[in-house]
This record gives sequence, structure tokens and C-alpha cells, in this order.
Amino acid sequence: MSDPILSLQHVHKSFGEAHIIRDANLDVIPGERHAVIGPNGAGKSTLFHLCSGQFAPSDGKILLNGKNIAGLKPAEVNRRGLARSFQITNIFPGVTVFENLRLAVMRKHNLQFVFWRSAARLRVVNEEVDDLLTKIRLTERAQTLASQLSYSEQRSLEIGMTLASDPQVILLDEPMAGMSHEETDYTAGLIREITEGRTLLIVEHDMSVVFSLAHRISVLVYGEIIATGTPEEIRGNARVKEAYLGEEAA
Amino acid sequence: MKYAPLLLLVTVAVLIALPWLVSGSMLNAAVQMLIAALFAMAFGLLCGQAGMLSFGHAAYFGVGAFAAVHAMNAFGGEGLLPTPLLPLVGGATGLVSGLLAGYFSTKRTGVYFAMITLALAELLHALAPHLKTVFGGEAGVSSFRMPAWGIGFGSLNDVYFLTLVWTLLCIGLLYLFSKTPLGRLALGLRENAHRLRFLGYNTHALGTLIFAISAMFAGIAGALQSMNIEAANYVVLESHISTAVVLNSFIGGVRVFLGPAIGGAVMTFFGHVTSDLTRVWLLYQGIIFVLVMMFLPRGLVGELVERIRNPSGEGLARTLSTLLARLVSLAIAAFGAVFLIEFLQRFLSPEYRAGVTDGNWPDIALFSYDWAPLSVLPWAFGLGLFGIGIALVTMVNRRVAARKEAQA
Repeated sequence: MSDPILSLQHVHKSFGEAHIIRDANLDVIPGERHAVIGPNGAGKSTLFHLCSGQFAPSDGKILLNGKNIAGLKPAEVNRRGLARSFQITNIFPGVTVFENLRLAVMRKHNLQFVFWRSAARLRVVNEEVDDLLTKIRLTERAQTLASQLSYSEQRSLEIGMTLASDPQVILLDEPMAGMSHEETDYTAGLIREITEGRTLLIVEHDMSVVFSLAHRISVLVYGEIIATGTPEEIRGNARVKEAYLGEEAA
Repeated sequence: MKYAPLLLLVTVAVLIALPWLVSGSMLNAAVQMLIAALFAMAFGLLCGQAGMLSFGHAAYFGVGAFAAVHAMNAFGGEGLLPTPLLPLVGGATGLVSGLLAGYFSTKRTGVYFAMITLALAELLHALAPHLKTVFGGEAGVSSFRMPAWGIGFGSLNDVYFLTLVWTLLCIGLLYLFSKTPLGRLALGLRENAHRLRFLGYNTHALGTLIFAISAMFAGIAGALQSMNIEAANYVVLESHISTAVVLNSFIGGVRVFLGPAIGGAVMTFFGHVTSDLTRVWLLYQGIIFVLVMMFLPRGLVGELVERIRNPSGEGLARTLSTLLARLVSLAIAAFGAVFLIEFLQRFLSPEYRAGVTDGNWPDIALFSYDWAPLSVLPWAFGLGLFGIGIALVTMVNRRVAARKEAQA
């Protein structure tokens, strides 16, 4: 087993008296698709907020490629190779799909305070946007306003924007939330394709998706990771059954 | 929009030929229209493209105006800063003050941002009368345009062309800016600053920079203004200047590129014409703003662009005849409303009241007739026309709706 690319060590997060994350330990191995599951209110989204820099942990270390990123700002975490999507669709609704992706791609090329070049002539950027459009299968919709896309198309766009910085680690927060069966299958296929050669950490409620997509699964209950293992191991784990899967099976 | 370049060319040609087409008073109005257009474009960059509603843009217009006057006096229109380049001083001053003010105000968004810009502008406005060396007190600071580059700059024509060149140049630069990576990021800032942050951008620095660039162009507009009137007074820092640019931009359409410019030009022209005709022209301006916001929330240009992009599907002839019917009905209603407002204004004015003796109410002259104020006739005339106009417009709208339903 190689060194973990993302490692949470004794991470703790409390808001006042509420201890949301309690001594969480998690190692994500390079190249794996790792799912975090757990009942509602277990702290899955908080865990993502901690990794992506929205919140700083109250205690503990978060290592990305061996370097502590705990408490860094979102922009800095992103620069170090970790990008995330959001549970609620978080795109630029009033501009085109192409523009959404271009805004995402420009950052990677350090195009921020640039006012002496034409964005239309940034050949490399535009090629990458076209690539991304192909990957997320939205080429036909490039000139459509993002707000006019269907829900699952917006989710695809969201994933495309997460990919734009060419991150080593991708965090997807409930990418299938609110989708129909067909849309879920479609998006699962998409995620499989785009995470080739990258590391994925995903929070998802749809168990059939989690068990077919993830190489390894961690179970988060009341802010603690109570088990980590392959889908088979998790299925057979007594504590998990008791805490989480058992409820659903019953 | 394939006719856009042609339309642009014709507009520029007309603007260049204007001094030979219109009277001196109209040309003077044209200079003010150009300045208002540029000022509104500067505001449009901040509000329309980057989504930051500033209520204090008079501050940057004002500092640009004062900087240009001081530079005019200091350099005498020669040396490093000949007269045609003086707006650069206004721009530089606007840029620096925009960086300062932008740094603080863009730390917040929405209402809080608007309040900070308002507070900063009011701060400057309150401070100005006390800083006599800078703002010249009640009298303001005056200067003279000196000849440079073989141009006299004494005549209105010269001033017009100076203003025209700078306005067109700045609008061109603003257009190019909107196509650059930073210009595209302004849209991102407007649409979803939170997402931009997670993509790894420094949204505060982006906001500050865009604020400063907007303030820079406002400063250039201010400089053109003080060069036009060869003076600057702290009145340019007043909040109604800030308000006017907001109203003008929204009337034109703040989200379409030339919307603010056309709003600024049209409303300045409107003010120029109506302020000679009526005392309550500000009321009309306010009514127009409310009506545009209620019925054409995209603004005049915004609505036009939308109609061209998404035609009604009824064909050009039908669309135009509907438009004509609407305009005629609205004109009737507007005439009725104007009649009533003007009649009331005269009726309520202190001068008229002073003329009333012992229950004897003299006739009121309006639209070359004398109307007896206590008779029902003038009131019925105004209300009747207004009612007829509104009824006609409702009829047209019902027909359009019925046709749409029949199609669906």
C-alpha cells in the first residue's frame, strides 16, 4: 500500500458545544475511489468542508501529499491539487456552459488579473474547455446558459468545473442527489470515466452507486469513522450493520 | 446581430458630423450626453458586469473632475500634460481612489457593499467644503482650457470633439476589457463569487481591481466634465450624481454592454429638453424609472436585444404593427398624464395661489388654452385621455395574449 495522498489524522471539529467531527482518521490511497457513507447528520459534509478549506478543524491534521493543509483557505487548497463539487449545484447560472468551464480552466493557467489579452485567443485554455466539454458530454450545449441546463446536466457541469484545475484529488459531495435512475446510472458512468488516473473521495446516499463505484468505503457515524474497508468488508462489518446498514435492512 | 458593426459605424459617423447638424445649445447637450454615457459605462462595468451596486460613484467622478482642474492650472495645458491628455489625470486619480475605496467596500457584498460606497461618498462630500485648498469651498476651483497641439480648445466644437474622442476611446477600451480574462472573471464574480473562491481565485483582489477600473473611467468622465465647464465645484460630489448614474444605467439596461451609455445619453437629453419646459422634470424622470423597472426590467436596450434574439415568432410586420399600436396608446396615456401633472403643478404653485382673490380662481394657461380650474373640463380631459390610452394598451396586450394562446 502506497503512502496516502489525503490523510486525516485525529481531526476534530466543534461548533460551540456541538462536536460534529470527533477524532476522525482516514487515509485515502492514490488512485482509489473512496466513498464516505453514514446516516444523515453524521458530519459527511462537514468533513468535506474541512478537507476543502471552508472550515478549519478545531484540532488534528489534514495532510495532502504529506503536507498539512488544515486551516488553509479554499483557494490555496485548490492550488495544491484538491478540488471539490458541492451538494447544492454551484455554478455560474447567468453565463454559458463554455464560460463556466473557461472560468474554471483559467485559474490553472494563472489567468487572474490579466487585462491585456483576449480570452477568446487563449488557445490552450479554449482547447482544454473543449476537452472538458467532451468529457462531460456537453459539447452540444456549450453556448447554452448554464441556468437553462437540465438538473443532471448542471451536475455534470459542476463535475466538469471541479475537473478543470486538473486536480489529483476530487471531492464529490452527493453528485447524484435528486437524480432519476437513468440520470444516476449516467452520472456514475461519467464519474468512473473522469476519475481515471485521479483519486476520488465521494459522499453519496445511493448505496447501489457507492458499492459498485468505490474501491473502499469509510463509514462515518456521529463524527467518527467507525470502519474503513472494501465494499465486501463493509457489508460484513457488524458495527456498520448495527450503526447504519442494519437500520435500512430492517 | 449581424448589423451591429454597420449600426456602430453609422452612429460614429453621425456623432462626428454632429457639430454641422445641430445648434450650439444642442451640441452643448451632446457633450453632456457623452459624459453621462461614459460615466454610466464606468458604473455599468461595476454593477452590470461584476454585480456590485455602488451608490457612491459621484466620489470618483468628482475626484476626477477636481484633479483635472488642478492639473489644468498647474500645467497650463503644456509640457507633459497638454490639454487633450488631461483626462488621464482624472483617470489616474479615479484609479487610485478606487483602489483605496474598493479595498474596503469589496470586503462585503450586496447591501453592505452599497452602504459602504454610499458612506464613503458622503464622507467625501461632507469633508469637501472644509478642504478649501483642494475643493475651493463654495466657489469651487476654476481654470481655462489652454491651446495645445495646434488646437485652440476655445470653441464648443473643439470641446465636443475632445469629449467624443475620449468617450469613444474609453467605451472601446471597456469593450475590449470585457473580453479579457479579468473581464470574464467579473461575470463570475457577479454570478457566483463563492464558486470563484473555490476555483482558487482571490475574489477580494478581483473585486478591488474591477472597482478601481470602474472608478478610473468614472474619473475620466469627471475630468471631461470639468474641462467642459472649466471649473469644478463640490456639488459634483453630491449624492444625486450617484443616484442619477444608477437610474440612467438601469433605464438603459445595466447588463447589456451599451445599455448604460444609451440610458445616460437618453436621460441627459430628456433632462436637457424637459428642464426648459417644466419645473417637475425630475418627477417625470422618476416616473420613467419606475415604469421601466416595472415593465421592462432589462432596461430599454436590454429589452431590445432580448426581442431581437428571441423574436415573438409573429413575423416582422406583425411585431412592428403591435409595437406601433402600443406606442400610440402609450403616447395618448402619457399626454393625459402629463396634462394632469402640469395642470396640478400650476394649480398648486405658490404664484398661482398668490393670484387667487376672494374665491376668484383665474384661468390656467396650458398647451395654449386657458382652462378654468374649478370646471370639470380640464380634469376630465386629462383623466379621460389617460384612461383611453391605458384601455387601448390593455386591448393590444389582450390581443397579443389571445394570439399566443391560439398558437400554443
